[in-house]
Amino acid sequence: MALLKPFSKLPGLNTAIILLVENEEKLQLRLGDALLKETSVVVNVRLAKSLPLPVNERRPRIDLVVFIINLTSEPSFQSAEASLKYLDPGYFLGKVCFMVTKARNASVPTRRLDAVRMLAASLHCPLLFAEDQTPEGVFGAADRLLTILKGAAGLVPFTTPLYLSHLTRCTLPPDVDQPSFD
Amino acid sequence: MEKSTKCFLQQLVRRTPTRMLKATLEKWDRLTPHQRQSVDFTLPKWVITQTLVTICEENGLTMKHITELEMMHVIENPNQGTWYSFQLLDPEDDAHSVELMLFKEQFKTHLRELMRNVSIKIKKHTDEAVWIRIAWGSGFSRPNHLKPTYVVHYLQSPYVFVRNLTSKLKPLLMQSLTLSTRHQAIKDANLSGPKLMAIRDLLMKQYQQSFPTNDASPLAKENQPGPIVNEQAEARASRRRMASEAFGKGAVPQLQSAVYKLETKYRDPSNRTMTERDEPFRCVVKYSSSNILESFRHCASAGIASTPVTPLLSSILLKGRNYFVITDNAPAAASQTRQADL
Repeated sequence: MALLKPFSKLPGLNTAIILLVENEEKLQLRLGDALLKETSVVVNVRLAKSLPLPVNERRPRIDLVVFIINLTSEPSFQSAEASLKYLDPGYFLGKVCFMVTKARNASVPTRRLDAVRMLAASLHCPLLFAEDQTPEGVFGAADRLLTILKGAAGLVPFTTPLYLSHLTRCTLPPDVDQPSFD
Repeated sequence: MEKSTKCFLQQLVRRTPTRMLKATLEKWDRLTPHQRQSVDFTLPKWVITQTLVTICEENGLTMKHITELEMMHVIENPNQGTWYSFQLLDPEDDAHSVELMLFKEQFKTHLRELMRNVSIKIKKHTDEAVWIRIAWGSGFSRPNHLKPTYVVHYLQSPYVFVRNLTSKLKPLLMQSLTLSTRHQAIKDANLSGPKLMAIRDLLMKQYQQSFPTNDASPLAKENQPGPIVNEQAEARASRRRMASEAFGKGAVPQLQSAVYKLETKYRDPSNRTMTERDEPFRCVVKYSSSNILESFRHCASAGIASTPVTPLLSSILLKGRNYFVITDNAPAAASQTRQADL
């Protein structure tokens, strides 16, 4: 059981490293390809099915951990929830984000959507909704992830991941009480 | 033409889709090309039947010829009804020397000895399979051609596939099969399904097999270059390897279902009433899919089912059967028994 630590290694120059955790391994590769289209910074993508990761001394420092949750499947949510405890608490200062897919599917129970929102709000992490059926949707999702990734990697002047975390802390709690169809 | 023959032809035409009917009639070769062209396949089935009856009467065709037509249709389209498989045991010394003529003669003699009114038709298909069509009668009635039993046997192989057999007539067929193939016993192979070819491939091991190995293949060992790195590539590769070991690789036989009949004790520490019952908890678990082995393999390689695969599932391919009775491990019944570890 190895905790993933955010500050155990030095960052690379102009480099941002993102870890995509998805139980179903369906979207992560396409999303990774879309993320690599970015040219202003060097993006490195790492994929995993769930945490913990195997021990690897040569693994660089990971700037942002993204949990991709397919709302139509309960195991997908449970696996993400179980993986959270293998992250160092330092990650929750703005270096974790949740991405939800298939939220518009009719077979999604509203309670699961609420559970995901509750989880994200209680950990003060941003929650993104993505479209995974079309290439445009994947590019859009990658674009939003890049914005967060640059901030999390410290590549945006005058912004830190902690600042991002504070922003979400202010806005999210009232969000939890709202019904999910707003 | 007799009434029963007419009735049989009518049923045959009704069951066969029109486009197949045309191809089968061409193959049948009992009608002249001119007669074949006179049948209009766009008309409703009952009109086609009437035309065919007239033509058959003209040509003086009998029940024998019509059964030929049916057999041809079944050989071309074997995936209907449910095929059950049986395994012949204890071959005698001359079992390997049984050839088609001898088998034909012996089978007919043995079955006719047991049952007087029975119509048997044997035909060899191109892929070495011997197809047998049996229409059963009783002591006093003529053979009923409307519900024939079909038997497929590959000579020199211990497997027999049977379709549409009633339990009353089963011992008769089994006995004549055992005697005419020079074996001493026959048993149910516990494998059934609508696709004859899938069942045959599974029993005769005609699919791509994957053998257990500890070394990963040289290709998988190479480190993936490039900016996208899978952190758990090793675990993923081993999951895939174990899945293909259990369920085969490449195209697997298209099996539709697997049935597990549980007769084990109920074990749940939180439910004492059920656990303390002396009688086993009886239930049936049925998996079904359009291609069940493929589905299992995907579940295992995607990590939905845990690996290594439980022997309960992997023995579908290993033992070539899809019906299992699971009882608690008892020394008395060791052959069929496996510890229930679900």
